Amino acid sequence: MTLRDCYAALGGDYDEVIARLRSERLVQKFVLKFMDDGSFEALVRAVGEKNQEEAFRAAHTIKGMCQNLSFTTLGRSADELTEALRNGWSDEAPALLEKVSADYARVAGAIGELKASL
Amino acid sequence: MAGKNKQKILIVDDSEMNRSILADMLGEEYDIVEAEDGVQAVGILSKQASELSLVLLDIVMPKLDGFGVLSAMNQNGWIMDVPVVMVSAESGSKQVERAYELGVTDFINRPFDALVVRRRVVNTILLYAKQKRLIGMVEDQIYETEQRSSLMIDILSHIVEFRNGESGLHILHVRTLTAMLLELIAAKTDRYGLTPREISLISTASALHDVGKIAIDGAILNKPGRLTTEEFSVMKTHTTVGAEMLQAAVPGWMTDEEYEIMKSHTTAGADMLARLPVQHGEDLVKTAYEICRWHHERWDGRGYPDGLRGDEIPIAAQVVSLADVYDALTSPRVYKPAIPHEEALRMILDGQCGQFNPMLLECMTENAEKIRTALEGDAAEEIQQRNLRSISEEALRGEGGAVSERTLRLLDYERMKYHFFAAMSEEIQFEYTVAPSMVTLSAYGSKTLGLEEIFMDPLHSEKLISLLGRETLEKIVNSQHDTTPDDSDSTMEVLVRLDGESRWFRVITRSVWSRDLPPKYMGLLGKAIDIHEEKMKLRELEKKASCDPLTGLLNRASAREQIENRMLVHPDGLFALLEIDIDDFKRVNDEMGHIFGDQVLQDLAKRMKHSVRNSDICCRAGGEEFFIFLEYNTDIERTMERIFNSLCFEHEGRKVTVSVGVALGSEVGRKFDDLYNAADMALYAAKHAGKNRFCFYDESMSDTVS
Repeated sequence: MTLRDCYAALGGDYDEVIARLRSERLVQKFVLKFMDDGSFEALVRAVGEKNQEEAFRAAHTIKGMCQNLSFTTLGRSADELTEALRNGWSDEAPALLEKVSADYARVAGAIGELKASL
Repeated sequence: MAGKNKQKILIVDDSEMNRSILADMLGEEYDIVEAEDGVQAVGILSKQASELSLVLLDIVMPKLDGFGVLSAMNQNGWIMDVPVVMVSAESGSKQVERAYELGVTDFINRPFDALVVRRRVVNTILLYAKQKRLIGMVEDQIYETEQRSSLMIDILSHIVEFRNGESGLHILHVRTLTAMLLELIAAKTDRYGLTPREISLISTASALHDVGKIAIDGAILNKPGRLTTEEFSVMKTHTTVGAEMLQAAVPGWMTDEEYEIMKSHTTAGADMLARLPVQHGEDLVKTAYEICRWHHERWDGRGYPDGLRGDEIPIAAQVVSLADVYDALTSPRVYKPAIPHEEALRMILDGQCGQFNPMLLECMTENAEKIRTALEGDAAEEIQQRNLRSISEEALRGEGGAVSERTLRLLDYERMKYHFFAAMSEEIQFEYTVAPSMVTLSAYGSKTLGLEEIFMDPLHSEKLISLLGRETLEKIVNSQHDTTPDDSDSTMEVLVRLDGESRWFRVITRSVWSRDLPPKYMGLLGKAIDIHEEKMKLRELEKKASCDPLTGLLNRASAREQIENRMLVHPDGLFALLEIDIDDFKRVNDEMGHIFGDQVLQDLAKRMKHSVRNSDICCRAGGEEFFIFLEYNTDIERTMERIFNSLCFEHEGRKVTVSVGVALGSEVGRKFDDLYNAADMALYAAKHAGKNRFCFYDESMSDTVS
């Protein structure tokens, strides 16, 4: 699996990220690193505990990373959750988290495949 | 890797990935320092703000967010020194506005573009470096001007004092006019290479043009009417005399030989001067020399003293001579009234006062109106002077946005000094700021207390609460309530729990206030000194002083104090005072010896202690006389029975009995003396009734005794 294939599989914009970061090597390095970040686990935990502050921060961090890596799909759902939580707890959060989780699983699957093919 | 010349950039972002993307984009050219939250960032800034070329700062972060970091940077003045570029997914205009208000230079929005990031970083660093250099240059110039001015004013005030009154204003006018003409001619031609610095130098030096007049006889100087040829030749010497004075002002500046060469050819002289080692301030003296000596030379070579012509006359002297003539014409003198501006100008152009550089005359005619108004308000110069001073003072104080290099160097030095002394003294030193709510500890303090050197929100810090207890903590943080900006120190003694042991510390704080009106409370500076040993020693001494050495019971004076205090604190308590006397103690002493007697006293003291509660007060009042002061609930009779029985005992086979007089607060009142007198009377009654018993005081006793 190539890096381009991986981007197609996880719902990202390969051309855009290469245009910005200008190095396939760098992009690959950060894509592989993405799974090391603990923000998703923190997000799930915080939403479970209805901890708005923590949940907002974690969603915000995921959104930021997705923007930097052009993970368009996950970035969009993380953005929705971030905005829902910006001014206090929202009862929509668990439903929005499900969408984030599904997109995150898709990203994780694609990165796993990329890793396996290296 | 970390080369010494690399610029250092601090990246503050809670996401490790974002930090490493930025670090990779900036590449090897920079030295990267990372912080994963605001507290870490403030910690790094407080140690190495002066080494940082840039901060890349995220907004949303745990512990302390980007705005908190910016507040701390403002409070400590780092924002003046280190540019901040925000890197954030936040793009709300409110957030952006707030960040700019807090002094942010630029924004980089996510997603990061490698080129944009690199370019912004380079630009920001360059811009700041340039700005700093410019500030430095302007400042140095202002500083120099000021130094020069004050020197000149010193010299001139003397002259003005000793000589005629006209010079004061004349000097101001010549100076204003000189500066003006120089600026005009610099705009017209670069033939004279006049920089702003040089213009300032020449106009300052112009104040000295007539300094040689000090040596001229007052009778000639202030003669109303025309001078004779002889008098005029004396008058003329003020040029050479002034020049000589200046020459003497800097010893070794010019030898006679050099002076001859300089006189014979000005450009050669200037060359030679340029080759001489130049001391600080010498260029001022050199300029003043030129002005003094040659401000009566004329363009056509018909002036004095040396008859120089054209541009042989230094530009400084050319300009001052024109300014001097114009002001002399338009001002009243002892020998003539003031001539109006237009007429004076016409006289100069007609050559009635000698020939001048045609280009200077051009400048003058083209700006005739401007020149007239400039001299009208003689305060103009003063105002300019004041402005200059206030600008530079502002820059030096670091207000109005610009912290000067000089101030930063001083700050760096102070910081170094502080750290050195803090490290040398074994004291817990701390600093607390209200916004952001943050504590900074000295290295020793951090080690001793087991706390971070910098931490947020002290009132909610679990560790701090467990060290001090909530109450003490609040007392320290709120200690400013007892202070004012004028009386800002406060001292308190507090217990600190360190490693499971409570120790006494003395905490001294000074509250810090803003310069606002009214002043705002900004935070505290403080130190905590371990006074535990000292305090324990003191307590030991106090205890010793308050106790009877033989029995360890309280002595009379301290018992009385405690009893009175007890009754004050518990106004509703039921109290009894027992006066106890060992029966026939003299005989015990006589028969068994003093050592035995002492043992009896000690034995009794022990029994007294055992027979009452810890909170009751036992005392040896002297000799074989003891007190017990106790609080009872209901049945004092039964209590007395019990106590009395335990106080009758056998010591080494010898029976010891006591007599006890009891006075109740409920009957005689709550004054110690009344209680004591009543107990004493009751004791007397007990003795009288045959000893070895206790008696309660009743009112009939007072009759029998008195």
